[in-house]
Amino acid sequence: MKMSMKSKVIIYTLLTAVAVYFLAPFIYMFFTAFKTEAEAIAYPPRLFPSKWLFENFKNAWQSQPFGTYLKNSIIITVMTTAGQIISCSLVAYGFARFEFKGKNLLFMILLSTMMIPWDVTMIPQYMEFNLFGWINTLKPLIVPAWFGSAYYIFLMRQFLMGVPKDFEEAARIDGANAFQIYWKIFMPILKPSLILVGVLNMITVWNDYLGPLIFLHDRSKYTLALGLATFKGIHSTRIIPMLCITIIMIIPPIIIFIIAQKYIVEGTSGSIK
Amino acid sequence: MKRKLAVLCMLSLTAVTVLSGCGGSKTNQDTAKDGKTKIRFASWDVAEDVDRQQELVDKFNLAHDDIEVTLEAYGQDFDTKISAGMGSGDTPDVMYMWNYPSYYQGLEPLGSFIEKEGESYKANFYDTLWNYNSMDGQIYGIPIGFTTHTLFYNKDLFQEAGISEPTNDWTWDDLQQAAKTISEKTSAKGFAFPMKPDPYDFEMYLWSNGAAYCDKEGNLEGNINSKESEEVFQMFQDMEKEGYAVATEKSGTDEFRSGAVAMYVYGAWSINSLKEDGLNYGVVAIPAFANAGKDSVSILSSSGISISKDSKNKEAAWEFVKFWTNEESNKARIGLELPVLSSVVESEKIMDQPEYAPFYLMLEQSTGYTSASFIIKEWSELSEKLSLSFEEVFNPSSLQSVPDVLNSAAQK
Amino acid sequence: MKQKKFIRNATPYFFITPWIIGFLVFTIGPLILSLGMSFFDWPLTSDPVFKGFGNYTEMFTKDTQFWKSLTISLKYAAIFVPLNMAIALFLAMLITQPVNGVKIYRTIFYIPAVISGVAVSIIWGWILNGDYGVLNYLLSLLGITGPRWLVDPAWALFAVILASAFGVGTMMLIFYTDIKNIPIDLYEASSLDGASPAKQFFCITLPIITPTILFNLITSVISSFQQVTLVMLLTGGGPLKSTYFYGLYTYNNAFKHHKLGYASANAWVMFIIILILTALIFKSSSTWVFYETEAKNGKKKKGGKK
Repeated sequence: MKMSMKSKVIIYTLLTAVAVYFLAPFIYMFFTAFKTEAEAIAYPPRLFPSKWLFENFKNAWQSQPFGTYLKNSIIITVMTTAGQIISCSLVAYGFARFEFKGKNLLFMILLSTMMIPWDVTMIPQYMEFNLFGWINTLKPLIVPAWFGSAYYIFLMRQFLMGVPKDFEEAARIDGANAFQIYWKIFMPILKPSLILVGVLNMITVWNDYLGPLIFLHDRSKYTLALGLATFKGIHSTRIIPMLCITIIMIIPPIIIFIIAQKYIVEGTSGSIK
Repeated sequence: MKRKLAVLCMLSLTAVTVLSGCGGSKTNQDTAKDGKTKIRFASWDVAEDVDRQQELVDKFNLAHDDIEVTLEAYGQDFDTKISAGMGSGDTPDVMYMWNYPSYYQGLEPLGSFIEKEGESYKANFYDTLWNYNSMDGQIYGIPIGFTTHTLFYNKDLFQEAGISEPTNDWTWDDLQQAAKTISEKTSAKGFAFPMKPDPYDFEMYLWSNGAAYCDKEGNLEGNINSKESEEVFQMFQDMEKEGYAVATEKSGTDEFRSGAVAMYVYGAWSINSLKEDGLNYGVVAIPAFANAGKDSVSILSSSGISISKDSKNKEAAWEFVKFWTNEESNKARIGLELPVLSSVVESEKIMDQPEYAPFYLMLEQSTGYTSASFIIKEWSELSEKLSLSFEEVFNPSSLQSVPDVLNSAAQK
Repeated sequence: MKQKKFIRNATPYFFITPWIIGFLVFTIGPLILSLGMSFFDWPLTSDPVFKGFGNYTEMFTKDTQFWKSLTISLKYAAIFVPLNMAIALFLAMLITQPVNGVKIYRTIFYIPAVISGVAVSIIWGWILNGDYGVLNYLLSLLGITGPRWLVDPAWALFAVILASAFGVGTMMLIFYTDIKNIPIDLYEASSLDGASPAKQFFCITLPIITPTILFNLITSVISSFQQVTLVMLLTGGGPLKSTYFYGLYTYNNAFKHHKLGYASANAWVMFIIILILTALIFKSSSTWVFYETEAKNGKKKKGGKK
């Protein structure tokens, strides 16, 4: 497909305009992270710091045990992502490719679990985890992910519904059983959406702080996002360290995203044809 | 289909019974394998301040073979965490506390503990602080810090405008004169106050003018909409309308720090940031109302340390509370909090420090007032409604008539 | 033979077992308990007291804030959901264009979705501050007096929408993945037929991604009703309670006023509303969502397949 010069110009203009909207606050945040706190709130605002305080990042990182937090964040993120990918694809496959009794009811229940706000189920959940002896461990943040979350199951189901029926019929004639079909045929087709679920889950878990706040007590168990949130006190906020940690915190997801992009794109030439 | 539903219901019922049963009987992990009594201690402080607290906690742990305290820090989400803990019957043993009206039912009354320590223990604390750490005559927390409100002013801006700096004897008329001059002669505004003031804080202005939100029975009518109360609101609204005062979106600290306003009223919370900025500022008492015939009054924002009602190890918890409130710890926390022990204020010569002394002056002037939050049972909800009313008066896009708003607020 | 039949019947259940176990162990208990709580007066610090439908009647008859917050959230959802979806789809189309450097743009568009909500709200607070904000400063350089975004009730909801549109990247990525999965030969065939890009979009892309549109529609309706963090940190529900979203209302009832029973009742009313909306969307979806699994029946032929 060749593109005309005119449409290229239009596309680049649009891309750049949107990029400015998305990047401007980020760039402002980035430069502010190098300022003193006084300069950060000065008016009229200035984009560049008068003096680049690179040590802001070091100070921010050392103001709390962020090394430990990083370790915890990585453990939780990796463990939940693995769990979500495995169980959500299984469950979504069940819902998308089979007819069975009670399917619609069960699917409606699945969707409903997304609709009750966490504020009111949190305390009962806390009691339950307390009963299990899981409070102040990483378990409440990891284990439930291994049973699938409604959001990703729904997403995968929608993708699976878009795959033509002929696929498993052909395989079934070859004598493959349901699990083989799922594993050998659907997993490869689904690779882009599995990666999508992985990326989405990673970022949600990476940034989640309410879960860690409620279920963890000791600072030795905290996550990065929770450490970040505690820069905001009741009467004052440590703006600069907060921005520094925010910037450090977005590096891993961005790297993952850049890598994942490649695989999502690969889907185009994938086996779906 | 029906059978499946039945099974589902059964299962959920079991789950509920199991869950509701566990509210009271939590798993007991209070004593660790090494035989030490574990005490959880929750604080709301942030970042480096927590490190300083951790040092103190470590010191305590070193001195006690049988008790081990772990520090938990939650920053702004302290309330959410404590609420969740209380709701699930898993509250920290010891915690920072300020909002007694909301939480006192989950806290242990400390009267008997204090008695054991003898009269001098209690007498060393500034007396007014006890009122703010009590509810219905019972003490629920030991004071660890406090702040009153004072007037902060930017010395450079006063010099630029060529007028003399505020003093402890100022009235609001003096402030208005100065604010006008500064707004005319410099690029800054004279005075800033929050457009959505916390009703808890704002009552101090009513007290200063001889009014209050409610009487001792909690009736708003005739109090919040009294003539004296109206005068207060009208004065603030007029300052804003006349353009030499600005109603800020938040507390006003940012505006003051950036030199955009010359004066504002606030607690000691911002002192550390102001010092860090190197701002040339001063602190004096809040101006008085000329016609009220008395000194200005400040609200007290007091922080205390409390023991949970559910705690299994109250004796050990008290041991820690005593440590946290002793002279040494008070000294160690100077900079985080204003000391609450008169012996520490003396020995550390706090009154000689011009940035701290006015807070104690305001404390002296503010005895004998009871905040509406301790009188009205449903204060938290009323506070939300009052906050909306006040915003109707001060938000520049509404600026509603003061008598109208206050009369309708009195009906809430 | 019988055994084989059993296995075939049981297979689908085998696949969904993980979710069923998770549901029974982690979800249903708290869910039912929160429903039960809604019939109690529970001030958190002391024991719950049963009050029947008291919470619900109070909400519907006495609490004016309930209706106000409900209206605000409905309004927000009505503006935000279609707007956000349109932007997400537009951006997804934009980043699928085969031009050089599109990969960098793709990453840039996704950055905001990666930044933690706490920092996002602080940054937007600075940008949108009426007197001392960056945006109004920039506008003043152009000679425009910007509105007081977070102070003027007429602008505040718009400001919240502006800030939440910042996180459009997630939805964009979902659309993008789906679009990238469309077989290229469909496009190639149709461009041989001389179809314009616009026609290709409406006849190939749009029909194929309808399952994803349904997904994004439902999940963003749910999330717009549950929006708490951003408004709590950015506007605190103000000015003059103009952004006091239903989610914030519930949250404050639970954790500020310590009325956990009442908050549960709030949540369950919201649940019913979302459930009805979702059911309506699902009902309507049979007319506009095309699943390949159903396309076999022949009547829903896709544009690209001719």
